[in-house]
Amino acid sequence: MTTVLSIQNIHKIFGDLEVLKGIDVNVEKSETIVILGASGSGKSTLLRCINFMEVPTSGRIVLSGKTIGKETAGKVIYNEAELNALRTRVGMVFQHFNLFPHMTVRENVMEGPRTVLKCDKDECGRRASKYLDKVGLGWKSEAYPSQLSGGQQQRVAIARALAMEPDIMLFDEATSALDPELVGEVLETIKELADEGMTMLIVTHELGFAYTVADRVLFLSEGRILEQGTPAEVLVYPKQDGTKNFLKGHGSFRLPEPKLD
Amino acid sequence: MDYLWDFQSILNNKQLLLIGLQNTLILAVVCLVLGLAFGAIVGIARYSRNPILYWPSTAFVEVFRNTPVLVQIMWFFFAFPIISPFEINAFTAAALGLTLNTIAFSAEIYRAGIQSIHKGQWEAGKALGMSYTQQMSRVILPQSIRRMIPAFMNRAIELMKMTSLASVIAYGELMYQAKVVSTIEFNPIEMYTTVALIFFAIIFPFTLLVQRYEDKQREKG
Ligand SMILES: Nc1ncnc2c1ncn2[C@@H]1O[C@H](COP(=O)(O)OP(=O)(O)OP(=O)(O)O)[C@@H](O)[C@H]1O
Ligand SMILES: [Mg+2]
Repeated sequence: MTTVLSIQNIHKIFGDLEVLKGIDVNVEKSETIVILGASGSGKSTLLRCINFMEVPTSGRIVLSGKTIGKETAGKVIYNEAELNALRTRVGMVFQHFNLFPHMTVRENVMEGPRTVLKCDKDECGRRASKYLDKVGLGWKSEAYPSQLSGGQQQRVAIARALAMEPDIMLFDEATSALDPELVGEVLETIKELADEGMTMLIVTHELGFAYTVADRVLFLSEGRILEQGTPAEVLVYPKQDGTKNFLKGHGSFRLPEPKLD
Repeated sequence: MDYLWDFQSILNNKQLLLIGLQNTLILAVVCLVLGLAFGAIVGIARYSRNPILYWPSTAFVEVFRNTPVLVQIMWFFFAFPIISPFEINAFTAAALGLTLNTIAFSAEIYRAGIQSIHKGQWEAGKALGMSYTQQMSRVILPQSIRRMIPAFMNRAIELMKMTSLASVIAYGELMYQAKVVSTIEFNPIEMYTTVALIFFAIIFPFTLLVQRYEDKQREKG
């Protein structure tokens, strides 16, 4: 097994609020990890520390064997160019899609390869076609984001992130802003990526989806990992009261009954 | 009052007035182009969180927004040459005053335009690995410029009117030429009426254009 991402003792403090209190996770290649936790438990902050949308207060991020930042005199210094390079290898999908409204679907997907990776025209075009086809939206290439449904927009956002051909993908509540009838198509797309072996960290409130897609589930509580394990271990046989209470609050989710043998 | 209007004296001086009109347009275009270009830089600096960029640009904007343009033009023509080694002619003094003023106002338009873009757009660019400059040039400005266009057009209209202030330092734009002609021909009524009509003829179409554009934007929602 190769470790794609190693999150080591990450702390994040906003003002006098410590949101992450020492998080350690190793993510193996092709692993799909689902992160669960109550609102405010630090799920988004954790994802955002991985690609340095937020700079961790302390701790280390190691991506594909390379430690981010230089340690000098006990302080870690991050340089913008290094962080930008890191971000090209970490794909992020947002709750509100954040597509570029002034670009067509195809231009949205080509933007990263073109502007950031400086790919030539043929390569940009190849990637746009490939990843738009992958999310089933090749036929919408020339449309603008405002002409698409929410579910389609989110699939374009996924294609945009994939076009960078990242080492790992981060999803922060990718379906929370969608009408219920549009959630399925996005989850289906994410599921396909998981099946193809993409390495992923997924924050979601869809427990049924978590159960089917995850190799491992982390339960976050007040900035710490309270419990982790296989979907069955965490979602069906939780050990911690915090996890049990959280699951009770999601009553509509029907898990397989615990086996009594 | 049975004043007999006589526009013959205006036609006789057509050539002088055309030169004036030409100078007016030159002054307006030069100040508009420079003002919008440098305004972008000052506006971006105003938006920056870096104090070395923020404070000087803010001081600049506030000084030029909160003093009369006429004072600025007079200052550059009469005061600036005394305290600096530069010779300054009327055109340069007027252009400096009006350009700096346009920079200050357009900087605010840029800043507000940039601010109106949702922060998710910055984040999307950043998450792709874009530098700040790339986020600004590829994502933020192309979206915000569209929202700025009516404000810029209003600024251009203001600027066109303000060029007449350059007449006080004897720059030969339309207003100054009119003043010269009217003192020679004793026809201030016809002369200044003509000047007003010329300005109106140039500016009114722009005003209509701005209104059309704003209505269209509103329809789009
Ligand atoms: N930029 C910030 N500045 C200050 N506080 C912040 C910032 N970002 C997040 N927080 C705080 O950190 C805590 C954790 O936020 P975070 O968004 O990571 O939670 P979450 O688990 O993603 O919650 P949710 O399920 O509601 O999305 C919250 O109390 C939030 O208010
Ligand atoms: Mg969140």
